[in-house]
Formats: sequence, C-alpha cells, structure tokens
Amino acid sequence: MTAGTHPLTDTQTQALIRRLTALADDEIILAHRGGEWTGHAPILEEDIALANIAQDELGHAGLYLTLRADLDGSDPDRLAFFRDPSQYTNTRLVELPKGDWAFTMVRQFLYDTFEALWMEAATRSTYAPLAEVAAKAVREEKFHVQHTALWVERLALGTPESERRTQAALTELWPHAAQLFQPVESEAELVHSGLLPDLNAVHARWTGLVTRHLTDKCGLTLPATPDTQPGRDTHTEHLAPLLAEMQSVARAHPTAELW
Amino acid sequence: MTEPQPHAQTTDTQWPRWEVFKQDAPNRPHQAVGSVHAGDPQHALLTARNVFVRRPAAVSLWCVREDDLLTATPEELTTTPTLLDTPGGPGVYYVGVKRTNKRSMTFVDLSGTVTADGPGDALRQARTLHPDVLAWMVFPETAVVRTDEDPGTVDSWFAPAKEKTYKQQQYYGVIGRHVGELKRAGLMPGRAASEDHA
Repeated sequence: MTAGTHPLTDTQTQALIRRLTALADDEIILAHRGGEWTGHAPILEEDIALANIAQDELGHAGLYLTLRADLDGSDPDRLAFFRDPSQYTNTRLVELPKGDWAFTMVRQFLYDTFEALWMEAATRSTYAPLAEVAAKAVREEKFHVQHTALWVERLALGTPESERRTQAALTELWPHAAQLFQPVESEAELVHSGLLPDLNAVHARWTGLVTRHLTDKCGLTLPATPDTQPGRDTHTEHLAPLLAEMQSVARAHPTAELW
Repeated sequence: MTEPQPHAQTTDTQWPRWEVFKQDAPNRPHQAVGSVHAGDPQHALLTARNVFVRRPAAVSLWCVREDDLLTATPEELTTTPTLLDTPGGPGVYYVGVKRTNKRSMTFVDLSGTVTADGPGDALRQARTLHPDVLAWMVFPETAVVRTDEDPGTVDSWFAPAKEKTYKQQQYYGVIGRHVGELKRAGLMPGRAASEDHA
C-alpha cells in the first residue's frame, strides 16, 4: 500500500476505496447503456462513435478499479462481474434505461461534463497514482464532451420533435444528475488533505458549463433540482436486469481464465 | 416530371457524405481513409475522429464534402473528357493521387496544391503532374474542414489513441487453423502456395 508522499490512514483508505468504486460503478453502468446502442444507433457512424465512447468509459472504470486494487488487493473483474445490485454504488442517472437518442445524448453530456471536470481537478491530487490516471483519462473525456455537446445542440435546435424529446430527456435526467455530487462517507477528510477534488467546486463549475450550453446555446429549460436525493445505495428497478445481462457470461463461467 | 428537388429529398434521407483525410504523423501526407455521413462540418470531424482515429495514430483530420470533390480515373477521362471542363471557382486546389490497389483501404495521398481556374483545370494539372496513377482527386482548399492545431485538440483528439492497445489482425486467436497455416499448406482455394515466396 503506497500513497506517494502521504501514508494513508485506515479511514482515508476506506474513503478512497468508496470514491474509486463509485466512480468505476458509474462508468461501468453507463458503458453498458452505451453499448446497448450497438447495432441500433441512428446511423452507422454514430453506432461506432458511441461504442467507442462506451469502451473509453469502461477503460476508465478499469483504471479506477486498478487503483482500488493497489489499496486492498481486490480483483477488478470480480468487482465488476460478481457484485449484486445492492453492492453497486452507481448513481441512478446512469442506470436508467437507454431511452431514445436524445435521452442518451443528454445523459452522456451531463455525465461527460462532470467526468471531465472531476478528472481535471483530480490531476492535482496529492495522491500521485490518482493524479497520473486522471491526467491520462481526462484528455479523451474532453473529446467525449465535445461530441455529446454537439449532439445535444443539434437535437435541441433541430425539429420540433427533436426539441421536445431533448427537453423531455433533460427534465427527467436533471434531478438525477445532482446525485453525481454527493460525497461518499468520510470524503471530506480526503478533500481536506488534497487527495480528492472538492465536489462542491466541481459542482459549481459543472453547473456553470452545462447551464450555459443547455440554456444559452440550446434554448432548453432547466427543471428544478430537488433538495434531497437518495444515496448511491438506492437503485431503481432497472439496475438488476442490467447487471443480470452484463454479468451472465462471467457468472456462467466463473472459473474461466479468459473471456 | 420536372421537380427533381422534392423528389430527391423524399428518396434520399442520408446526410451528406464527407471524405475523411487522416495525417498519421507530421510531415506525412494527408491520406483519404474513407468517408462519414454527417449533418455539418463539425459533426463530420467529430464522427471521423471516432471512426478513423481510434488507433494507432493520427495528428490531423480533414473532412471534405463529397460535392466538393472531383475524381477521375484515366479510363473515365477517356470516356468522359468533359470532366476536364468541370466548372467551378478559381483558386488553390488540393491534388490527391491513388497509386496502388495493394492497401485494403482506398488510400489517396494528397500530393500538394495547384492554382487552377476551376476543378476541371485542377484535374488537368493533376494529370500532367502525375501521369501514371490509378486515379486523381481534386478539391478546393476552401472546402477543407480541419481539426484545430492547438495543443488541447491534439491532446484530446489524437494523443490517447497512441497509448491504446493496438493488435495486428494476426495476433488475435482463431478458431480452427490460422489462414497463414492454410496458405502454406496450399489449402486456400484460388491462392497458390508459392505466394509466400513472392
């Protein structure tokens, strides 16, 4: 167990594990929802593009779970493919069914912007392994934002039908997005020590960026954000079937060495 | 009968096609690597990046709308010499040449620019400059949509691909026998086993 120049306390280690797992879980579940478009996206080029984005997100999950493995010796594959819905700590934002293309692009835009900003802040983490991973992954996340921001804009300013669908997606997803900024238990201590980005600061930057894009540029209306959100341990009924499908191969062949 | 515009719109719902040019490294020519359908220039570039720059490497992408391209093979110029009179605006035109059929993708290398009266004149000059090629392609410089050259764009669009796993096809496992093995045994229909000695 190494922590660069800062030996981690046990409380810090546990909190860091919770944060890394939460980040990875969001990426895994969103990647699966993105992957569900394979063969179904509006045009071939976007089919390929979204599959690529989903692969990138899954790659980021791999990075986070590898960081966690360095802390507790856990196996990333087992965490991804053998945990039950009750053990997953993803937000409800990413587990909702894939919806239509507007829903998919609005969700991806809200998430990508969060991820790009969080990773950018994490490049300044005093926990060197995290700073390195963030510096590597933030670059492609900035590209994801460009791609999905363009789609949201084209849909919002497209036909009356595409505008209606984009607004409907935003209305449904906006309250869920707030959940991305909930701290995990004891996260404040890690923020104070400079190991993790300050979620409040990331939230403020995120709100500014997405509000400018969605309202000023796209002419959409932001719904109100509810005062309280359920925690990451509370899931919709959509997570269990998703995991059942995603984990079916691994669970059918638990001793397979390569799959 | 003479209403082509509405007719065309009802039968063709495709977005415009854009030819994608990829530059693998600085000082290398941009090469045509394929095409994407996209609604506008920025969409074309973003889509091209995901489709063609996944890996292993690139430093720059250009997209050019199909309508702005003029292509011809020597055979086409024989049967349709009026291609050399294709009208259009004067200016600087890029010249691309296709030299070989060996690559699996239809590579056209951009070889430089000419100053021309129009696309037809550019094609005429391309033929003079490169008489022995399989095909020529010309398009006005003004038709090119390019990725930004600022470090941020290069870093987020192109750099990550270089660090991703890239395997040549032959590294992947196969079920049954590898095609190379079959070739060597002379079991590939229509292919001489002596191909390996070429």
